Amino acid sequence: MAGTLQRQPTVTPARRLGWRAGAVVTALAITTLFLALSGRDPRLLADLVVRSTVGSRFGLEDLALFLTPLLLTGAAVTVTGRIGVWNIGAEGQFYAGAIGATAVGLFLPGPSWLVLPLMAASGIACGMGWILVPALARAYAGVNEIITTLLLNFVAGLLTTYLAVGPWHDRVTGALASTGRLPVRIPEIWGVVHWGFPIALAIVLALAWLTTRTRWGYQITIGGANEQAARYAGIPVRARILGVMLLSGGLAALAGMFEVAGTVHRLQGGLANNFGYFGIVVAVLARGSCLNVLPAALLMAFILNAGIVLQTQQLTSSAVLAITGLVLFMIAIADELAHYRPVTVRPTTTRPATGAEARP
Amino acid sequence: MIDLLTGMLSTAVLAGGVLALAALGEVLAERVGVTNLGVEGLMSMGAVVAIITVVATPNPWLGLLAATLAGAAGGMVFAFATVIVRANQVLCGLAVTFLGLGLSASIGHDYAGVPSPATFGRVPVPGLSSLPVIGPAFFGQNLPVYLIYLVLPAMAHWVMFHTRHGLAMRAVGENPAAADAAGLPVTALRFWYVTLGAGLAGAAGGYLTLTYVPVWSEGLVAGRGWIALALVIFAGYRPFGATLSGLLFGLITALSFVGQARNWPIAPAFLNMLPYLGTIAFIIVPVVVWHRMRRIMAAPAALGVPYHRDVR
Repeated sequence: MAGTLQRQPTVTPARRLGWRAGAVVTALAITTLFLALSGRDPRLLADLVVRSTVGSRFGLEDLALFLTPLLLTGAAVTVTGRIGVWNIGAEGQFYAGAIGATAVGLFLPGPSWLVLPLMAASGIACGMGWILVPALARAYAGVNEIITTLLLNFVAGLLTTYLAVGPWHDRVTGALASTGRLPVRIPEIWGVVHWGFPIALAIVLALAWLTTRTRWGYQITIGGANEQAARYAGIPVRARILGVMLLSGGLAALAGMFEVAGTVHRLQGGLANNFGYFGIVVAVLARGSCLNVLPAALLMAFILNAGIVLQTQQLTSSAVLAITGLVLFMIAIADELAHYRPVTVRPTTTRPATGAEARP
Repeated sequence: MIDLLTGMLSTAVLAGGVLALAALGEVLAERVGVTNLGVEGLMSMGAVVAIITVVATPNPWLGLLAATLAGAAGGMVFAFATVIVRANQVLCGLAVTFLGLGLSASIGHDYAGVPSPATFGRVPVPGLSSLPVIGPAFFGQNLPVYLIYLVLPAMAHWVMFHTRHGLAMRAVGENPAAADAAGLPVTALRFWYVTLGAGLAGAAGGYLTLTYVPVWSEGLVAGRGWIALALVIFAGYRPFGATLSGLLFGLITALSFVGQARNWPIAPAFLNMLPYLGTIAFIIVPVVVWHRMRRIMAAPAALGVPYHRDVR
């Protein structure tokens, strides 16, 4: 009897979850080791993290504030993933949404029940516009969307800083690199948590329904699974790619609108806070399911919130980025390792020629 | 006007060298069928390690060596995950980018704003460097410039297209199953070329802080790794293509400097967008305008696909 590892084509959800839990624990263990080596007390830090995230009301409010943009950017990357496209540009579309919303908020006076929807519409339109060229190039010329969407992030960041420092700069209070305070704001429902949070939750649920229970969602799944077969079956794959990418840009832009109108209240450089990039991590964790975006975004929000606590302990904000990278790396490895199962080879002298072994 | 052109070309050669070196490294990795999206993070690690090394020992060559080794170490971690474990290359690449950016900023925290104490000095070639316009740009530069623009791409080109080993390497990127059946060590070739490519990415980061921007700050690499990735596509996965497109983008970067220096009526922010917008234009326009381009510039057939010998 010889034991060997064999790769299985499919993995049960429970098995994958187990491997992933192991990956997250490993990543956190490595982080703890580094913290201990740099002379900090990991137990003290862990205690502090728990108390200031899930252990207090303020912690929970902060968690919800982090969760709001992550739900939307996570969903944005997830929907494009379903058709086999990577939108790495959620960060840029987030900025575009914030810019579009700010333009309306700053220069269109009116009652907030009218201005807020207009801000959202303008923001979403800008986000869609921001992804339009990469989307057209991907759908109709097969140009690698990872690079085109990503490079636009740098352009959006430069544009935001330019607007905040230049033409839209707040000359009244003279705040550095920031526009004036927006006259309207999204009303709060619980502490500092604004209405953007329940709306984002509802949008993710609606997307879960749209992607799994409708004809449109089915066409996208098939287009992502096998583009040639989908085209042969009469599915307009190119139009679907374009549509999904525009939807994705709109979702990320809405996150930007919520952030500027609900949390920060002014446009400033660095507003996006890497939420677009962390949306990729959320989408990876969610594995293409919009429903899974909810727990995935929760985990990511927890890590970000914990990062704020670590920053008060003389750790730079970049440490959080490194920890996120480590978690992502471990999960990528665990996802592959979950495919392997030990099998024992029976000591048969001749292999029976049944049809069963041809099937995976 | 002549002075302006001379200065612009000099800047272009320096700025382009960073991109050319990183793109050359990525060409090696992608030719064996592995997309390494971690270039940005690896360059960032190289940049900070180079500064730390030259602060300790004021020798730029040691700094460049340390940056190369740092990149190669990161590349080995990436290659372990993607080539040996065969995990998803896009995810691992993004993870390496996050890790590299985060780690380099954490390590470099105490070095932020510290100017590099040793940089590569100019070594003018006698006679040639006094040529008008092109003299200072091409013959009055530091020594690594020749390494980046001539020696390394020539070596890569010769190995890749004129040796048996190069044929084996390209076969692994085109059809690993056939290469495996022919007895080629697919995993070993992929592992070492990804590591070598990552080493060049680290060196590109080190070159950045040892010549072009000789001071460390967070976010210093500023998307150059991603531009280098795009240049690989634009270069058609060829070593000299990577070098030339690096130089072309160096010119675009230099253009934005000239604009700022000469007070063109455009805000600096928009001039700074030029390299990014230029990159996007350069990878979209050729395939739209000229359809045959797609075939000439085709990626290795097995690019991004992990190879499982036991699963067909």
